[in-house]
Amino acid sequence: MIQSVIKRDGRIVAYDQSKIVAAIMKSLEAAGEEDAAEATRVATRATRHLEMNCGEHAPEIEQIQDAVETALMDTGHDAAAKQYILYRANRTRIREANTSLMKTIDEITNVDARISDMKRDNANIDGNTAMGSMLQIGTAGAKAYNAAYLLRPEQAKAHAEGDIHIHDFDFYSLTTTCCQIDIIRLFHGGFSTGHGFLREPNSIGSYAALAAIAIQSNQNDQHGGQSIPNFDYGMAEGVRKTFARHYIKKLTEIIEDTLFTENEAELADSAVNAARQQLDQEPRLDTNAAEFDQLVAQALVQSGKLDSETAKRVVATARRRAYQQTDRDTYQAMEGFVHNLNTMHSRAGAQTPFSSINYGTDTTPEGRMVIRNILLAEDAGLGHGETPIFPIHIFKVKEGINYNEQDPNYDLFKLSMKVSAKRLFPNYVFLDAPFNLQYYVPGRPETEVATMGCRTRVMGNTYDPTRQISYSRGNLSFTSINLPRIALLAQKDEALFYKKLDEMMELVAQQLLDRFEIQASKRVYNYPFLMGQGVWLDSDNLGPADEVREVLKHGTLSIGFIGLAETLTALYGHHHGESDEMQAKGLEIVSHMRAFCDKKSEELKMNFSLLATPAEGLSGRFTRIDQKRFGTIPGVTDREYYTNSFHIPVWYPITAYDKIQKEGPYHSLTNAGHISYVELDGDTANNLEAFESVVRCMHDSGVGYGSINHPVDRDPVCGYVGVIGDVCPRCGRRSGEALSPEKLAELRKKYPSVPTFCGCE
Amino acid sequence: MAAMQKQSVVGKDVPFERIRRITGYLVGTMDKWNDAKKAEERDRVKHL
Repeated sequence: MIQSVIKRDGRIVAYDQSKIVAAIMKSLEAAGEEDAAEATRVATRATRHLEMNCGEHAPEIEQIQDAVETALMDTGHDAAAKQYILYRANRTRIREANTSLMKTIDEITNVDARISDMKRDNANIDGNTAMGSMLQIGTAGAKAYNAAYLLRPEQAKAHAEGDIHIHDFDFYSLTTTCCQIDIIRLFHGGFSTGHGFLREPNSIGSYAALAAIAIQSNQNDQHGGQSIPNFDYGMAEGVRKTFARHYIKKLTEIIEDTLFTENEAELADSAVNAARQQLDQEPRLDTNAAEFDQLVAQALVQSGKLDSETAKRVVATARRRAYQQTDRDTYQAMEGFVHNLNTMHSRAGAQTPFSSINYGTDTTPEGRMVIRNILLAEDAGLGHGETPIFPIHIFKVKEGINYNEQDPNYDLFKLSMKVSAKRLFPNYVFLDAPFNLQYYVPGRPETEVATMGCRTRVMGNTYDPTRQISYSRGNLSFTSINLPRIALLAQKDEALFYKKLDEMMELVAQQLLDRFEIQASKRVYNYPFLMGQGVWLDSDNLGPADEVREVLKHGTLSIGFIGLAETLTALYGHHHGESDEMQAKGLEIVSHMRAFCDKKSEELKMNFSLLATPAEGLSGRFTRIDQKRFGTIPGVTDREYYTNSFHIPVWYPITAYDKIQKEGPYHSLTNAGHISYVELDGDTANNLEAFESVVRCMHDSGVGYGSINHPVDRDPVCGYVGVIGDVCPRCGRRSGEALSPEKLAELRKKYPSVPTFCGCE
Repeated sequence: MAAMQKQSVVGKDVPFERIRRITGYLVGTMDKWNDAKKAEERDRVKHL
């Protein structure tokens, strides 16, 4: 007779058969075999089984559960037994999650981030600060809950064991990834951040400030990088307003200085008004400038206060000074914007928003002024000359606009390369690549491909083919597949590889749909800025309590992959950088994955897309698990990381030209986003001809998005920016060595950019 | 005010900043990178 039971924590409690009956009832119910009497009969059988096995000893929980399983099977309730086993496995998972959660929180609390790899998972969060740690504890808790309660068992297993990686898993139940914020639409009529209403801005300074606030606000509604697709077009409106204001102001001042009077504002106003009414426009930088100025001068002459010659000179001077002032204001606004995005925080104050801005194609004088000044501000860097980390600058390259010498924005394209050679930004998105060009409609900037975050691209729209635009859309979520793992399991059997790949893609597609279900059943009030302010496409038609399901379908569900190079090596012995034969095999695999996404999109009328995974937070994890499982396999698991998406491995010697030729074709297949990098040393990067030849090679080779990497070092003590080996070329110190204040003072005479330190001089 | 203590020398224990791009983002200093990212950066070869 069993009297007591040993619980998991060691406590001994009275044996209670009714609890076993209840558990069996649940399993029978789940199997559709509900029968109370039968439940009692099976429970009694389980108890007898325990008595036989344990004798006088109190049984442990696991032994009781084993007995229940056996009893269910012995009595022919196979379906119910299966349900019971699943239930048990799930409980185990939750229990283990709890234990590991406590261990994780312990590590976050007690281990220095320099030692803890986990705490450096997201390099944008400082794991050594209070708010950073708080965020990491929240992340750990959310991950444990999501794995235990929201994933299907097979998904949880695949994620835990590294078959797949569900990105931004901590936000699984909370929100979507990212959005291209159309600031023109957002600013018209003003907007609310959720904490206060902001009127429509009236100067370039406030346009830039509000653009930063828009990014910050949206970052609090979504977990991915936030982006502005039309930075030049949007900011140009602010420049227009600023110029119109300065034009009248300068005109007033110069009239006053000419006549030695005060209060000529009325005269200036009425003269400008006359021109305004005739031409039906504000004073503009360029548009109808000569006619406008002439009309203003005429009106001034008609007032009887100025003769014709003087009036003309007054107006010309006013225009020149208004231009200069507007240009200065624009530079300051852009400088403020860059500073803001590197210092303002979101998410419990623990990280700066991941931000991107796209520009380069606005050919109006105002748009050009914006592009030039944002580039100059990036070039100048932050307060001590530091390279700005945010925003990511993306220069849109387009033939006929900025790519060729005769194009109106060619000068800005050139300037962008000078800046990129120094600061690593801008990156380049190529609108002429066929898969981007197919959407391009001249004069409609929303049809220009823009990117956000590390590479996200949202353009095609199976859900609504009339809206194939970049504005107001984004990715909903993405999950990446450990491609080398599948190759290793296939053991050089190509057919088996494709079979396993298809199974894995099905699993991921289902998981993305499950996650969509959670995201789609949220209401507008769950996304107060993104949906509440109409940032997301069509959300302006919804009320605060409406479900966001339908409008969310404008977004993408993306399947990513990592390690094509290692996959090819595992399957065939070498990778696509090494032979054209392997290039063909690589393209076959990636085409296969793209076809799967296209088919899913058609079937479900949703946007499934294929992502060349950036590997953020994933770099190293898959490889670590696979090394344990398969051992060290040369060219596959013999490094600490798998190669980024379809890239040629970073360690493989190859020329820039060949690398671009090899990677280009994959860009057309990875419609959820891609990027190719070329590595240059510091000297080559500073050779602008070499730099430009790489960018042009990308443009001509079907690359959709690319950038050039080169080392950018800085000595915070003497302010030197450039390549630093062991010794700083400016001040001669080694990392961590000190300088005397005398030496600093001497350096400062030669280099004004040497920072000033308080307390020592 | 820049946070620099009163001292007779400047820059002791102040490391060089090394800005690199990895997984699409720039990172202010590689101190905050995880180990695999550091290894990837170390292995890179130049292409020109």
